[in-house]
Amino acid sequence: MNSNKKLLGAVVQNLLLVIYAIFALFPLIWMVILTFKPDTQMYTTTFVFDPTLDNYKEVLFNSDYISYMIDSLIVSGGAVIVSVVAGVPAAYALARYNFPKKEDIAFQILSFKFAPEILVVLPLFMIFQKLRIYDTHFGLIWVYQLISMPLLIWVVRGYFEDISVEIEHAAQVDGYTWYQIFFKMLIPLIKPGLVSSALLAFIFAWNSFTFPLILAGTNVQPITVAITKFLGTDSAHYGQLAVAATVSALPAIIFALCIQKHLVRGLSFGAVKG
Amino acid sequence: MSRIQLENVTKKFGKVTALDGITLDIKDKEFFVLFGPAGAGKTTILNCIAGIQIPEEGVVKFDGEVMNLVDAAHRDTAMVFENYALYPQMTVYDNMASPLRSNLYKKDEEYIKNKIQEIAEMMKMDYLLQRLPSQLSNGQKQRVAMGRALVRSPRVYLMDEPLAHLDAKLRNAMRTELKEIQANFGTTSIYVTHDFMEAMSLGDRIAIVNEGHIVQIGTGDEIYYMPCNEFVAQLMGDPEINIIGGTLTKTAGGYTYTMNAGGKAYELPADADLFAKFDEASLEKIEMGMRPQHLKYSFEPKEGYLKCSVYSYESIGNKSVIVAEMGELQLRMIAPNGLSVKIDQDVYVDMKLEHAMFFNADTKEYVARYNEAEIKSFAKRED
Amino acid sequence: MKEQNKNSTAVNELNVVPFKTRMRPYLIVAPALLITIGIMIPFIMSIYYSLTSYSFRLPNYSFVGLKNWIAILSSGAFWKAVWVTLRYAFFSTAFEMLLGMGVAMLLNNLNNRFSKILRVALIFPLMVAPITATIIWQLMLNNSVGIVEKFLNIFGVYNFPWAAGASTAMMTVVMIDVWVNTSFCMLLVLAGLQSLPKSPFESAKIDGGSPWFNFRNLTLPMLKPSLYIALLFRLMAALQEYAIIFGLTKGGPGDTLMNLSLTSYQTGFQFQKFGFALPYILVLWVFINMVAKQIVKRQRAAQKQAAGLEE
Repeated sequence: MNSNKKLLGAVVQNLLLVIYAIFALFPLIWMVILTFKPDTQMYTTTFVFDPTLDNYKEVLFNSDYISYMIDSLIVSGGAVIVSVVAGVPAAYALARYNFPKKEDIAFQILSFKFAPEILVVLPLFMIFQKLRIYDTHFGLIWVYQLISMPLLIWVVRGYFEDISVEIEHAAQVDGYTWYQIFFKMLIPLIKPGLVSSALLAFIFAWNSFTFPLILAGTNVQPITVAITKFLGTDSAHYGQLAVAATVSALPAIIFALCIQKHLVRGLSFGAVKG
Repeated sequence: MSRIQLENVTKKFGKVTALDGITLDIKDKEFFVLFGPAGAGKTTILNCIAGIQIPEEGVVKFDGEVMNLVDAAHRDTAMVFENYALYPQMTVYDNMASPLRSNLYKKDEEYIKNKIQEIAEMMKMDYLLQRLPSQLSNGQKQRVAMGRALVRSPRVYLMDEPLAHLDAKLRNAMRTELKEIQANFGTTSIYVTHDFMEAMSLGDRIAIVNEGHIVQIGTGDEIYYMPCNEFVAQLMGDPEINIIGGTLTKTAGGYTYTMNAGGKAYELPADADLFAKFDEASLEKIEMGMRPQHLKYSFEPKEGYLKCSVYSYESIGNKSVIVAEMGELQLRMIAPNGLSVKIDQDVYVDMKLEHAMFFNADTKEYVARYNEAEIKSFAKRED
Repeated sequence: MKEQNKNSTAVNELNVVPFKTRMRPYLIVAPALLITIGIMIPFIMSIYYSLTSYSFRLPNYSFVGLKNWIAILSSGAFWKAVWVTLRYAFFSTAFEMLLGMGVAMLLNNLNNRFSKILRVALIFPLMVAPITATIIWQLMLNNSVGIVEKFLNIFGVYNFPWAAGASTAMMTVVMIDVWVNTSFCMLLVLAGLQSLPKSPFESAKIDGGSPWFNFRNLTLPMLKPSLYIALLFRLMAALQEYAIIFGLTKGGPGDTLMNLSLTSYQTGFQFQKFGFALPYILVLWVFINMVAKQIVKRQRAAQKQAAGLEE
């Protein structure tokens, strides 16, 4: 009787998972299918059609798509690099040292993530023009810090806090300099948290729509803004639109697959570590 | 090899004063023990010597050279941490090799391999060398922490309760090994423990630390036989010393000691030096300290013995402790195993007064003891 | 006596921590602070501009004090926007948290190949930018070409309004938000579940606890830090969501989906009344800050408590 109950439980659980998986993954699968569908068969067929690579050819070679992707890569990748270089030391300081208003500063940094983007963007629009960083990669990378740095600092700080300070003391007594300790001992220990929050930082930067919409124009066009171009034209080339959408999700997916080992471990908060 | 001196070292953490005017002079090649209850400041002393923490006031000297401004890496010390502080991502081998791979204390890989093998064999952990710290038990981690210190040949070894998590057999074995290593290499060692037997057997000299102050410094015998106050007397010795309150009355022939509990009066055996001290101190209220092994008992009434009742009978290994109660006073005594003793049974206790020591009842400070001169001479180590 | 004093001051000089080491914490935080202080300026400017009649059209602007604020706070548009903002935020966050938790627990319980693949695959929706997701769903829900439309046709439902209908628009944008962001909650909860220590559960087994008991008293408290972070990020993001609504209907139909972010944008860039646009968004910011502070406080407490539970 008990084993039947267990079996039923397992079946139900698997079933529920399947239902959610359909909801979550079907749109993606369908998009990929659409990329191979020629425009002529767009309205007339659903799943059975003659696949073609024309859509890919059009988007990747005959349009500016690649340059949009490069813009996105530069701006998002640059933002993450800056966030890591400036954020990891800041996370260390917030974890180890005790200075006045420490928790307030930590909260302030975290709160940048929630600041309504519109709020930031309206005055920044004018400031950027005055400083001549409107529509530049540099300007966007700087603004993106608002969304890429906070979670990174928050997660990495948690990791530093979990490393007992005595390990640093032991390394000092062993004869290592502070820099050697930081890079050779501490960084490896925070790796899971660092790479998973870097992934999330990259995703937030890559997906950002509001900032490039208002703070960039024709020179820098990340893919999120540019994709609307594929919409509004005369006759919607749905196949091409599908290609644009699918390929735009690829960098983040590749990044995630590379670090999937660390992904789940890296984002556990306040739980057992090692 | 170094002579370590601390002069008037004070260390504060915010409002808390961890160390208050600590002065220590540890001789070169000495095995020096810091002993005291938890929270006394022993670890802080080690940290100040290692350079991990810098005192607010006072000087730390190695061989006369002021080390306050020298950072921990350059002080050439090796430390065993109470919480092991092993590097989690490195194998046991790499953990132990770590100090010998830093720029300051570098040795070649051949030397490292041999040294680690030697130490690992001695500590019976050569089969653990490729494991990660997360795969070790507490006792194993502790041995690795010690091993990491022992591969070095520093100016001073600093050890913070390094044997606390080992089982008794291994602990004894390690104690002997440590003493041997230290004697062979002649490295100054400073050792923290709260196990008094370890302190007595390992230390050339012991410093009792309490609440950030040094209470007494001396050899194990000095501290055991002539503790400077009741606190120290109670720390050393298991089972704990018996403190019996009473009054001293000077008589024609000498002194009489009358117990507070029960009012029994004892005529104190003659000891000229002792009585001279009593004259000098001219105290009335006194507390007598008797170690449990110096009490006699009998289950049959005997003349001159105190009548008490058994409060408890506990076996502590190869002997047992009887706690006898008389009113509010409890007396601990040593007894053999295997006795059939009933709680509240009558027991008669007598004291071998010629081993007693005396404390000022108000200040709790040591006044005098029997055979003081004799004990002083044999307790003093040769310099 | 004096000689001793002189000695001790010289000695005290020895114990002053060297300048370089003392400065280290500040040097370390400096880059992050520089970056963020640079961004602080817009906030301050916003407050200033909200008190003016700044407009892109007019060359001059004047300080109008609280006129803008009073006008906005008494306008129906403002309160409508507040209502829309709150509804959107509540529904999307609630669904994302519940779904995310449920799916994470399913993934954690099942250990077959299927669930292992899904653990990675189910993160993919998060990698799609909300604006892109909106486009994808628009395509799917399209009344002439969309696959969902074709699916509904089987059941006899034709031309379901989705984004076009006043009553269904909110549901549609919430659905898209949930589709993208449930993965975030799922990821955090899964990470939390997989790092739960075993010993409390083992002792509960000995004490004979039911699964529900285990969940309420062991799992849930230890998951609290992760749940709070998920709540924090999702709620704050949903309160100011812009891309999805803008992408789907630009705020329509009519003003059914005009939340505070969109209203502010419209006033500022479309109607060019800059000073007038800011109060909408400043109110939102103050509200977000207050709520965030509360959640963060609770999260730090839960984190400390969870660390205590492990001992």
